[in-house]
Amino acid sequence: MTMTTRREAMALLSGALASTTLGGRAFAQGTPKKGGTLRISAPANPSSLDPATGGAGSDHAFLFTMYDTLVEWEFETLKPKPALAESWKFTDPNTLVLNIRAGVTFHDGTPLDAEAVKFNLDRNRGDAKSNIKADLLSVASVEVTGPQQVTLKLKTPDTALPGILSDRAGMMVSPTALKVAEGGVVTRKPVGAGAYAFVSWADGEKIVVKRNEKYWKPDRPCPDGIEFSIIPELTTGARSVTAGQNDLIYQLPPRQKAIIERASSVKVVHGPTLYVFQIFLNWAKPPFDNIKVRQALNFAIDRESFAKAALAGLAEPAYMNLPKSHWAYDAEVAKLYPYDPDKARKLLAEAGFKEGTPIEIGGYTDQDSVQREEILIEQLRKAGINVRFVNGTVAEASAAFFGAEKKGAGLLSAWTGRPDPSLTYSLMFTKDAYYNAGRAPVPPELEAAIKDSRASEDIEVRRKAFATVQRLVMENAFVVPLAFQFELVAMNKKVQGYRPNLLGKPKYDDVWLEG
Amino acid sequence: MARRSPVKVIGSRLVQALPVILLATFMVFALLKLVPGDIAVTLAGDNATDARITEIRQIYGLDRSFLVQYGAWLGHVAQGDLSQSLLTGEKVAVSIGRAFPNTLLIVVIALVLALVTGIPMGVMAAIKPNGWVDKLISMIASLGVAVPGFWLAMILVAEFSLKLNWLPATGAKSFSVSPIDAIRHALLPAIAIAAYGMAEVARQLRGALLEVLSSQYVRTLHAKGLSMSRILWQHGLKNVGVNLLTIISLLVNRMLAATVVIEAVFAIPGLGSLIVRGAIQRDFPIVQGVVFTMVVVVIAVNLITDLLCAAVDPRIEQ
Repeated sequence: MTMTTRREAMALLSGALASTTLGGRAFAQGTPKKGGTLRISAPANPSSLDPATGGAGSDHAFLFTMYDTLVEWEFETLKPKPALAESWKFTDPNTLVLNIRAGVTFHDGTPLDAEAVKFNLDRNRGDAKSNIKADLLSVASVEVTGPQQVTLKLKTPDTALPGILSDRAGMMVSPTALKVAEGGVVTRKPVGAGAYAFVSWADGEKIVVKRNEKYWKPDRPCPDGIEFSIIPELTTGARSVTAGQNDLIYQLPPRQKAIIERASSVKVVHGPTLYVFQIFLNWAKPPFDNIKVRQALNFAIDRESFAKAALAGLAEPAYMNLPKSHWAYDAEVAKLYPYDPDKARKLLAEAGFKEGTPIEIGGYTDQDSVQREEILIEQLRKAGINVRFVNGTVAEASAAFFGAEKKGAGLLSAWTGRPDPSLTYSLMFTKDAYYNAGRAPVPPELEAAIKDSRASEDIEVRRKAFATVQRLVMENAFVVPLAFQFELVAMNKKVQGYRPNLLGKPKYDDVWLEG
Repeated sequence: MARRSPVKVIGSRLVQALPVILLATFMVFALLKLVPGDIAVTLAGDNATDARITEIRQIYGLDRSFLVQYGAWLGHVAQGDLSQSLLTGEKVAVSIGRAFPNTLLIVVIALVLALVTGIPMGVMAAIKPNGWVDKLISMIASLGVAVPGFWLAMILVAEFSLKLNWLPATGAKSFSVSPIDAIRHALLPAIAIAAYGMAEVARQLRGALLEVLSSQYVRTLHAKGLSMSRILWQHGLKNVGVNLLTIISLLVNRMLAATVVIEAVFAIPGLGSLIVRGAIQRDFPIVQGVVFTMVVVVIAVNLITDLLCAAVDPRIEQ
């Protein structure tokens, strides 16, 4: 994509842009030039470099450089936009036609045509090792209907698919590479059609990629390559940037901002993401089987103060599972739970809930989580709610709450967000969803509304459908959203053109190096 | 007193090492299985269903009984194969082969630093016990023992990397590619670990020397009119050689353990970082591989020390 078209796109979205700090400034200065190696401090070793078999959300930062997706999204709103699929159309609610861009090749020279797309989609939805089968559950068959055209026959209408194809499920891997790969997975030898081609991966140490000279986007990418140094200690990673050994670090915790800003050689960029801290509730058992207690909890939290105290102000108070800048945000739903401890007290009394009865909620043991708990305990105490946090490691506490044990009445955790909001809602608020800890039924109109949100392609119709979904979720108070975490990225001053995105998983599309 | 040949000694030591290796790897394996958390959940991805996790367990053989899984691992090791990471598929031997030199370089430099500073300190302190030099050295040594390595490491980075920009703050370079660059990267972490080593060497050496210097034959040497420095260098140090070797072997083992924390502070991809990553992700082939390597190294260090001690002091029975 050239600068002009991007600028035009940004102009259209000026409203959304306002909330993205530095978003406009980052690309307004200087002319992009080629050359140089971008050195990045990455917080985690990838679980796999095969998009279908990997599992960690942190993998995308690497995957996006090597694999292009069928669909992309606008950085600021996550609205789907053409990529490898230059256009798509639902010819009827159960048929999605994708027109694949002509002339694109994978890094190994294999043409990216309709056959290659079919091969990938069939693998993603059918292979035993694929972790993303559930994403493509609505697809009944994939047919090649032209040299550069595939047609997806659907079991049920699913307009979430373009969003889904902007994530793992839409990352195209070279079929040639997959066919010769051991076990049919390219975990260690990824071959995609992305801006960068894979060079090497030393576990827990370094991942190197180099510029794809035949990349389909004109004048992209600018750097000759990217070197990711894997540094799990974020404080150490930040030091590597201030000391000039790396150019950029992403996923910094808010408390790092003040420290890193003291270094004169470093600039900091931040923007909202879908990542939301929230209290999951088990509404199958007391006390949260009572809607009034759930609502009371939502009224008892001062989200503005929480964002300031727990996240150093680098956060947006959350009143639902979507932030303000998202295309499906609904301002009316956001007004449902103003901070009102008296109302909370009243609701508890109506529910017959004895003030001060301890409620056990699960949490995590790390320093930041405990700090969040302390703030919540204090806020809830003012409304007569006595919360006891029982902490464990992330894996342990999550499994105890969502798994078979059903420990605790709630869990203070986070939701990472999905490219299409319908997934967020169906994964948490349908009867048998894993993140519905009690596997308790939800009102039929909510299930219907979630289904409706996938029925139309028209974004205005979908926006309305999501407004209904969000209203039902929040009126029933099935969750206590707290705050959306900002993406916090620190970089050397020579790094230009980096923009945060709403998904919070960094993309380096327009980055270039000065000097 | 008939001495056994070193070959026989090494042979019998290796036989003794086997149960140690078995016990250590078995205990670590058991611990990994006992603590909560499951690599199948990681392998299954972000929002996996219970069914998918069960399926993953079958695909990766994680549903087999605990003993069968350990036996399978052991079977591979017996054939010289440390197997591969469950998560990323990298051969464990490759990971260790890449990580070990980074750790070894830090430990070697730290050991050299500890000896170069610790030995003179110990000797100076022993020459005039309870004099002001001795008291000063005792104080420095106490500090060296008390100061936590990771704290010292961060102070060193703040001063020498971020402020003065003399040495790199993070990472490691390969010694075979660029020895000077590799040493520059390893220097700060080595200093951080060496502080403890220096203190330990100084304290132990002082104690051992004092004992030697107060013995009967040293009094005789004084009476013969030998100078203090000749007594010290020709007789004293020779006699504390065994003590010194023992201290060194203990130090090497301790320093290896200390790298786990220090490597995290400096983002050095060594054995310590490797085992931490393996343990956090419950990627047990990695953890097992590193434990195996560590045990072998410790046994080797102890064996070499014993052989050296016997060479220095023939009175020591093998």
